[in-house]
Amino acid sequence: MSIIDLTSMAEPEGEQQDKINEILKTLKEDIPNDCYQCGKCTSGCEAFILLELEPHKVMALSKSGFIDELLNSDVIWTCVTCLKCKERCPQDLAPVDVIFALKNIAVASGKQIDTGISNMLQSVLGSGYIQQPKEVVDKDNKAVTRDSLGLPSLPAPKEIQKLQQVLMKAATETLG
Amino acid sequence: MVKIGVFICHCGTNIGGVVDIDELVEFSSRLDDVVFATDYKYMCSDPGARVIKEAIEEHELTRVVVTSCSPRMHEPTFQSVIEDAGLNRFCLEMANIREHCSWVHKDKKEEATQKAKELVAMAVRKSKTLEPLKSFQKEVVHDALVIGAGIAGIQASLDLAEAGKKVYLVEREPSIGGRMAQLDKTFPTLDCSSCILTPKMMDVARHPNIELLTYSEVTEVDGSVGDFDVKVKRKPAYVDWDKCNGCGECAQVCRMKGRVEDEFNEGLGKRSAIYVPFQQAVPLKYTIDPNKCLMLLSGRCGESPPCQDVCELGAIDYEQEEEMMELNVGSIIVATGYDMMDPNGMYEYGYDHSPDIITNLEFERLISSSGPTSGEIRRISDGEEVKSVSFILCVGSRDQDLQEYCCRIGCMSALKHAYLLRDHLGDEVDLNICYTDIRSFGKGYEEFYRRIRDGNTTLIRGRPSEINVEKDGSINFNVFDTMTQKLLQVNSDLVVLVPALVPRKDSGELSQILRISEGTDGFFLESHPKLKPADTATDGVFIAGCCQGPKDIPDAVAQASGAASKAMGIISREELESDPMIAWVDEDICVGCGVCIDVCPYSARELNEVTGIAEVDEILCTGCGGCIAACPSNACIHKNMTKQQILRMIDEVI
Repeated sequence: MSIIDLTSMAEPEGEQQDKINEILKTLKEDIPNDCYQCGKCTSGCEAFILLELEPHKVMALSKSGFIDELLNSDVIWTCVTCLKCKERCPQDLAPVDVIFALKNIAVASGKQIDTGISNMLQSVLGSGYIQQPKEVVDKDNKAVTRDSLGLPSLPAPKEIQKLQQVLMKAATETLG
Repeated sequence: MVKIGVFICHCGTNIGGVVDIDELVEFSSRLDDVVFATDYKYMCSDPGARVIKEAIEEHELTRVVVTSCSPRMHEPTFQSVIEDAGLNRFCLEMANIREHCSWVHKDKKEEATQKAKELVAMAVRKSKTLEPLKSFQKEVVHDALVIGAGIAGIQASLDLAEAGKKVYLVEREPSIGGRMAQLDKTFPTLDCSSCILTPKMMDVARHPNIELLTYSEVTEVDGSVGDFDVKVKRKPAYVDWDKCNGCGECAQVCRMKGRVEDEFNEGLGKRSAIYVPFQQAVPLKYTIDPNKCLMLLSGRCGESPPCQDVCELGAIDYEQEEEMMELNVGSIIVATGYDMMDPNGMYEYGYDHSPDIITNLEFERLISSSGPTSGEIRRISDGEEVKSVSFILCVGSRDQDLQEYCCRIGCMSALKHAYLLRDHLGDEVDLNICYTDIRSFGKGYEEFYRRIRDGNTTLIRGRPSEINVEKDGSINFNVFDTMTQKLLQVNSDLVVLVPALVPRKDSGELSQILRISEGTDGFFLESHPKLKPADTATDGVFIAGCCQGPKDIPDAVAQASGAASKAMGIISREELESDPMIAWVDEDICVGCGVCIDVCPYSARELNEVTGIAEVDEILCTGCGGCIAACPSNACIHKNMTKQQILRMIDEVI
C-alpha cells in the first residue's frame, strides 16, 4: 500500500473493505464510494452529542480502508438506528448500514464488544428478554416491582435450549 | 459497370492499433466489383483526400467506400472529396470501424479485424446500389423568432436586429426582463442588475427590427429549417395597449389593490389586479390579471369599475379577446430560462414552517431597493431587526433524490448576499454560510470569494440535517463543521435556502412543439455538449441561456450571441441546399390510404386528388422516415436507404 496513517502507522485494509461490501450487497445497498463528506448525517446524528458517533467519518474511514480503527472503537455500538442518515443523505447512501456491517465483522472476528451490548446478548440467550424486569422508584420514593403492583411475573420460554439453538443458528448463518 | 474503391483509415492508432489493416486491405481487394483498395494513416487529411481523388481518376471508380470513423464525423468531408473528383457526392458509403469496432473491442484484436471485414463487406454491397442523387435549393425566410425575453433572449434579439434581420421576440409575461430583472446586484462585480439590464430592454423596445410580442405564447410550429410557420397566441391584457400610457392611476384605485400576491416579488409583496410587473417594465403597459379582477370574475366591481372610471384614455377593455398570430421565420432561438425548485421538496428544511425561511430569489427582492421593503432588511414574520442570517447551499442540488447536478450560481449568490448584507447592516450582523464545496469557477469569482473570506463571515463546511422552528418563531439548526470537527448550534433570524434550478414546468410541452429533445435532467438538449452547445437536434432551432442548463449571466449572454450567430448563418442566406436523402413514393404501389399524411410531423405528405397518390413535398420532407415505417403497402422508401439495400447488407453477413 502506498498510504500510511502516520498517527497510528496503520495501512488501508482491502480485505476488510471487501467484507463490508459483501454485507452491504446482501442489503442491496451501494458501497459508500459516492460520499462527498457534506456532513449532513453527522449534523443530525442522534448519537453524536453524547456518544460522539460521526457517520461521515465512518464513511470516509471505510472508503479509505482504515477499518481496524473502527472495529476496535466503541462508537460503532452507539448508533441508535434512527435512520435519519439514510433518509436524508443527498447521495442516497446509508451510513447506518455500514455501521451494521462493521458491527457484524467486529463480532465475527472476536473483537471486544461493548459490555452493555454483550450483557443484552447474554440476557436474550438466557431468558429471551433483552433485559430482566427491574425495580423502579416512583414519585413518592417507593420501590415498585411487578409483584407490588400485583402483576404476574413474566413468562419464560419453556424450552430455553431450543431458543438458544435457533439464535445460534441464525448468528452463524449471518456472520458466516 | 460498377467500379468500387475501398479506402481504409488507420486514424493513427485508434483503428490501426487494433484492426489488422494489411489483412483488411487484402480482404477488401478480393470483394466483388472492388477494383482498388488501399489504406492511409489519416484519410481525412489533405494527403488522404489526394489518395482518394487520384484513385478515382486512375481506376475510373464509380462508387467509393471509406472505412474510418462515424459518418457523423466525416461524411461531409469525404462527400466533398469525391465531388471534387467528379463523382456524385451520394455515391459514397462509409463503414464505421472506429466507434463500432476498434474502440469497443480494443482488447480483442482478432475478432475486431473479423468484424471490420464484415462491416466493409456490407458497405461494399450497399455501395453497388447507391443512386446518384441531386440536392435542390429552397428559399430561405430572412426573419427570426426568439422565444423568451430574459437576458439571453434579449441579447440574441439585439444581435440579430443589429445584423439587419427582422426579429419577433415572444415573451409570455407582460414585460421583458426575465429573472435578471428580479436581481438586485450581480456577482462578482456588484453591478446593479437593472442598471445594466434596462438599457438593453429599452434598446429592444426602440429597435426598428424587433417586433416585441409580450404576454404571448408560441402554440404551434410547422415547417423546417429556413421556413418555419409559427402560431403565436396573444393573450388578452384587457387593456388597449395602443391607448395605455402607463400612468398607473388604474392600479392605485383598483379594489384589489394590495390584495394580490406579487409574482415578481416572489410573493413577498402585494399588487393590484391591474398591474405592471415592475416600474421599469417594457412595454410599460398595464395588464389585468383575469384570475383576480372582480369585473372579469363576476362581471361586477362595485357600482362601476374604478379603473375604467379613472382612465381618461379609455384604455380598459373587458371585452378584449385572445388573438392568434401567424409568423413565417427562417430560424428559431429558444431562451425560456429556468424555474426555482420548490424547497418544500426537502421537508427537513421547513420552508413552509416559517416566513423567515426564504429562498435566495426571495432574498433578492428583499434586499432590492425596488422590492417590497425598498431594500430594508427586516424579519418577514414580525418586521423586527435582523441580527443574524444563515445561508444553506445545495438545497436539492447535487442530490440523488432531487436534482443531481450543481446549480452553478448558488455559491456565488450566497457570497454576494453576504457582502451586501455586511454593507447594509454593518459589522453587528452575524453571517453564516453552510457550504459543501465553494465553486467559484468564473472570471473574477475566486477573487470575490477571497474578499468574503477576509471579512468576518462564518463559513461552515457542513450541511444541516434539519432546521427547527420553535414555538416562539425563532429558528435554529445544528450543523457539523467538518473543518473544526465540531457540532455547531446556529440561531438565526433569517435563513436563506439556495435551491436547485430546474427546467420550466411546461418545458416538456414546448419541446414537443419545437420537436427538440430534453436531457435526463429535463433541460433542452444541445447537439453536442462541447462543440455544438447552442444547436439542437432540429436544424434551424437553437437554444440559449438556462433553458439548456443552469448558468450564470456571462455564460447565458455568450451562448445567446452564439445562438444568434448560428441563426444568422441560416437566415442571411438566399437559399439552402436541401438534403435529397428523403422519402420517395412508388406511384405504382401507393393506394392513397393517407396513413403517411397523419404521421408526417412536417406536413410534407399530401394527397393528390387527381391521381390518388400521397405525394412527397421535397422541400418540406426532412427524411425522418416516419411515413416509411408507417406505410402499410411498402410504397414509401427512403432514398439510398431502401429496404432492399438493408436486406442485402444483412445478407452479406449472415
